Amino acid sequence: MEKPIFDFGLNTNRRHFLSKLSLGLGSAALGSLLIPDMFKGGGESDVNDLMAGLPHFAPKAKRVIYLFQNGAPSQLDLFDYKPMLNKMHGQDLPESIRGGQRLTGMTANQAKFPLAGSVFNFAQYGKSGAWMSELLPHMSKIVDDLCIIKTLNTEAINHDPALTFFQTGAQVGNRPSMGAWLSYGLGSENQNLPGFCVLLSRGKGNGQGVYSKLWTNGFLDSVHQGVQFSSGENPVLYLNDPDGMNREERRKMLDKLSQLNQNTFDEFGDPEVTAKIQQYEMAYRMQTAVPEITDMTREPESIVKMYGPECLVPGTYAANCLLARKLSEQGVRFIQLYHQGWDSHGGLPNEIKGQCMDVDQASAALITDLKQRGLLDETLVIWGGEFGRTNYCQGTLTKDNYGRDHHPRAFTVWMAGGGVKPGIVYGETDEFGYNIVKDPVHVHDFHATILNQLGLDHEKLVYKHQGRRYRLTDVAGKLVKGIIV
Amino acid sequence: MESASRPDGRSFSDWKGWVYNFAFFLNGLLIFLLLFEDRFVVPVWMQSLGRMHPLVLHFPLVVLMLYSIWILIVEKEESTKWNENLADTLLLIGTLTSVVAAFSGFVLSHEEGYEADALFWHKWLGIVISVCSIIWYSFKKYLPPWKLPAKLISVSLLIMLLIGGHLGGNLTHGEDFLTAPMQLASVENDKVTFEEANVYTDLVEPILEQKCISCHNAQKSKGDLQMQTKELFAKGGKEGTPWDTTKADLGVLLTRVHLPLDDKKHMPPRGKTPLTDEEIALLEAWIKGGSRFDLMVKSVDAQSPMYSYAQNVLAGSETEEKYEFSAASGDKIKELNSTYRLIKSVAAESPALAVNFYNRANFKSEDISALAPLKGQIIAMDLSKMPVKDEDLKTISQFVELRKLILNFTDITGSTLPELKKLTKLKNLSLSGTKVKLAQIQALSQIPSLKNVFVWNTELTPDEMITLKKSAKIRYETGFRGDTLVLNLNPPIIENESQILSANTDIRLKHQIPGTVLRYTIDGSEPDSTTSLVYSKPFPVTKNAKIKARAFKKGWYGSKTVEKFFFKSTFHADSARLITKADLKFPAQGAKTLYDGVKSDQSTSSGKWLGYRDLDFQTYLYFNKAVKAQSITLSMLRNVGGYIFPPARIEVWGGANEKQMKLLKVLTPEMPVKETSNSENLVFDFDFDMQEIGCFKIIAKPLSKLPPWHPGKGEKAWVFIDEVFVN
Repeated sequence: MEKPIFDFGLNTNRRHFLSKLSLGLGSAALGSLLIPDMFKGGGESDVNDLMAGLPHFAPKAKRVIYLFQNGAPSQLDLFDYKPMLNKMHGQDLPESIRGGQRLTGMTANQAKFPLAGSVFNFAQYGKSGAWMSELLPHMSKIVDDLCIIKTLNTEAINHDPALTFFQTGAQVGNRPSMGAWLSYGLGSENQNLPGFCVLLSRGKGNGQGVYSKLWTNGFLDSVHQGVQFSSGENPVLYLNDPDGMNREERRKMLDKLSQLNQNTFDEFGDPEVTAKIQQYEMAYRMQTAVPEITDMTREPESIVKMYGPECLVPGTYAANCLLARKLSEQGVRFIQLYHQGWDSHGGLPNEIKGQCMDVDQASAALITDLKQRGLLDETLVIWGGEFGRTNYCQGTLTKDNYGRDHHPRAFTVWMAGGGVKPGIVYGETDEFGYNIVKDPVHVHDFHATILNQLGLDHEKLVYKHQGRRYRLTDVAGKLVKGIIV
Repeated sequence: MESASRPDGRSFSDWKGWVYNFAFFLNGLLIFLLLFEDRFVVPVWMQSLGRMHPLVLHFPLVVLMLYSIWILIVEKEESTKWNENLADTLLLIGTLTSVVAAFSGFVLSHEEGYEADALFWHKWLGIVISVCSIIWYSFKKYLPPWKLPAKLISVSLLIMLLIGGHLGGNLTHGEDFLTAPMQLASVENDKVTFEEANVYTDLVEPILEQKCISCHNAQKSKGDLQMQTKELFAKGGKEGTPWDTTKADLGVLLTRVHLPLDDKKHMPPRGKTPLTDEEIALLEAWIKGGSRFDLMVKSVDAQSPMYSYAQNVLAGSETEEKYEFSAASGDKIKELNSTYRLIKSVAAESPALAVNFYNRANFKSEDISALAPLKGQIIAMDLSKMPVKDEDLKTISQFVELRKLILNFTDITGSTLPELKKLTKLKNLSLSGTKVKLAQIQALSQIPSLKNVFVWNTELTPDEMITLKKSAKIRYETGFRGDTLVLNLNPPIIENESQILSANTDIRLKHQIPGTVLRYTIDGSEPDSTTSLVYSKPFPVTKNAKIKARAFKKGWYGSKTVEKFFFKSTFHADSARLITKADLKFPAQGAKTLYDGVKSDQSTSSGKWLGYRDLDFQTYLYFNKAVKAQSITLSMLRNVGGYIFPPARIEVWGGANEKQMKLLKVLTPEMPVKETSNSENLVFDFDFDMQEIGCFKIIAKPLSKLPPWHPGKGEKAWVFIDEVFVN
């Protein structure tokens, strides 16, 4: 037996080896033909493999402007017209409608839940015939550009979890925010500006806090974190070089600094160090890019009239809308506005008037402005809060005064542009405005649809963290096909 | 043929005899049944045998093929020796299994649904194979494998096996099962557009083709239903027409589709892909609508499931254009990419590129021309706000693949705009904020593909805009016009943060809208647009003043009034001493509170108010060096609900030092009435003859009894004070 083995060994000579090798190469070559991405770059890490080939398909929208109405505006006083509530004003909400809905601590102990009809008048507008409240005269004029979704629903009943859910897809904190996901998935368009900017403003109504966890990068790389702009005269603080320092000197200093940082990175391999280097570089480029954007003097007077004179007062909602348009125009992927003051537990009719004064004109102007520049088709604008408000009164109900508590089961959000169907009203609520009767849109579905508009498959936009692959839509989410073109 | 012996003495080849005989018998039976096929009725117990056909048929296929191949590769007699026995066994097994397969196939063919041409050939080939193999086995010794006849037979057997197998495959999986993937790809390439799509041909039929037709076709019409043509589909099968709108369930088709998945009658049957919810909704809507074969998608109501289904299926045709050009090299794209010029492919795997330019200061005309190597791929270019000049349009017009071009707020005047006519694929053109003129814009209407042109904020007059909007082919977006709209200006801003004006501080006003005129008063009167002072630069005030200001501008209504009260503070006290201690609840910062220059807001809990109730407020205020004063101002608070009232009496004393005091002024403030607003900052001024003063003494007595209308009537009121100013 030993001899044949020995002979066999002798027979495997170089020639045999090479000819066998050619066969092996041939099979590998054939295999590579069948796996098209085989020899394409990337693949250095698991993440790159997961993220190869983005966007997944041709996007309808390139950018998002999210006008978040923080505190939850009352859909029943703005969009969801329910004459039944006026008819039954003061009567108790039937238990059959409430259906055991969990209530907040603020109304859970109320003995009665008297229905409160809106004191505001509604009328139909546009070709779509959408009902709009008299509080929104400017938005009413552009309803044919809006896709009004009446059937958003969420699980959370209090501000913090609901906001966090809307922004990050989970009620607990520390997951990446939607804007961070997009920045991670699509990168920044304009490398001279952050891909995700956050603008804050405050209304006169009862306010709820906003905090940086809403624009966190979570477990994603720090470069995807939202950059909060200051609401003062200088939206980005400390951007100017100190007196006596010129661009060249700044450049030299940054080069040296990044060398030192690179050394640290080589030694410890902490990706936060590279993130830091990148952020210094971006700040350097922002020094020229930001003044160009925040310079409002080049805006024509018709723009000022369109957004309203407040749009030149820094820190107002109108100014933030205008700034959002300018940032978006310059390729910022995701611009998140928060306008506080919608949490009208009491004295709603008065508070909501002030809030609408703040946001109505500027929100509508943003749509018109994008449209007249030919940018609306590639910019997705979203307007809405974290949940809705109840159809029954919190506190004492009078003929013309009431408050409304938090309502998660059905509320209204509108979208415009970005490949969303214009001029439609999607979904229906029952005649009490309490439950959804047709086409519900859950927060996860809402996220899936937004990602889809940006050319991303929400099931494929994943990040592996601590052994699990995470998505913005967690393990849920269905594309809402009825609202997209 | 040599064979090994088994322990019991019988040879292995004995079993071969049995098998051979059994195969021979089955073949005979098969031929017999064939002869009398028209009278043959399959007994129930035999049906199961028939249904084993798909299982059994693979054995003869493989085994006979192996044997045929063995025959083909045998070269000479010697080489057959060692494996002859094995080969013999192969042929025998092939013979047996082929007859079993043929027999079971014969039985199966008597079940419903197989009656067409393909079955005919499959059946006869199967029988021929079975018969041939038994004959071959019988005459094997006359056909040595290394001679030509055996080789010819094996080739023909191979061919029959392949054809027969393929035909059988077609029967179960449908005629174009093998080639379907290739056809699918070619179908997707020429998708119809939304406009010209037909509901049946472009929506319903593809579903039938994918999920129904493999069992309902000319070859295999299960339930006598065939779907390959409209007429046959409409005719229906054994159970009548597929749809019936008079029935609640709309007829047999939808009934079967709606049955639970594990129901025997569910269609498509178990194991096949069921219809999706969307597909069912489409069929339902189409049938409800009268199952019209001529229905066009565009005439369908937008709320109908047919419409939304069509949008999902056909949506791609307009937006996801298929590009004919091939992709540019990745290296080239990388090389041309910079932080100020972003080149990105439209989507992964798409050859099309979009270019965005950023940062006006860095832009040069060459940045466009440098892109020439990619002009076959660039379909969108965004140059908004870049200093693009007229002659650059010539360069741009070479990018013939452009679909979208954004030139908003560039420096073009329009003189070279007609150059863009060369962009024959252009769909969207944005010219907002440029100086283009009517004739130049109109020249572009020759571009056949042009759909949207954005001309807001250009040189166009309102009349010209109306002219443009008449175009049926192109949509001109003229945007918002502000010139006829009159709005209220927002009020100006009084920039001084502190309410306290020290000796050299001026009052500064501003307004964010350029070109506004600010008018103000310092005496508390309402400013108007004609007589009030016009603000041109920061101005000083000599005493406490209520500043009121309004903004005015042509084309706007005047703003609301903004007002702010300023305390003039010429002399800063150097120290102070409280003669009576403040109430424990409102100690603030003690005596320092009075001269620290910090004005509190109206909040009683700000920690900046000194509060007195049981004791009179009494303090000294010292100047290290005597000052020439002529007035003193006390800043106090009223908060009716909080029991905080003006003092009942205030005395101001002054002199060179504590010992030499004289009474300068006494005041008995007016008390609030029921209607008075709840909370307000109170200012009490005391003027006196100018004199050198080193020390003030101030006494303020709280009201001893709250008035009868107050909830706390009869109780003592509070006095709150936060600052004293000397001028």
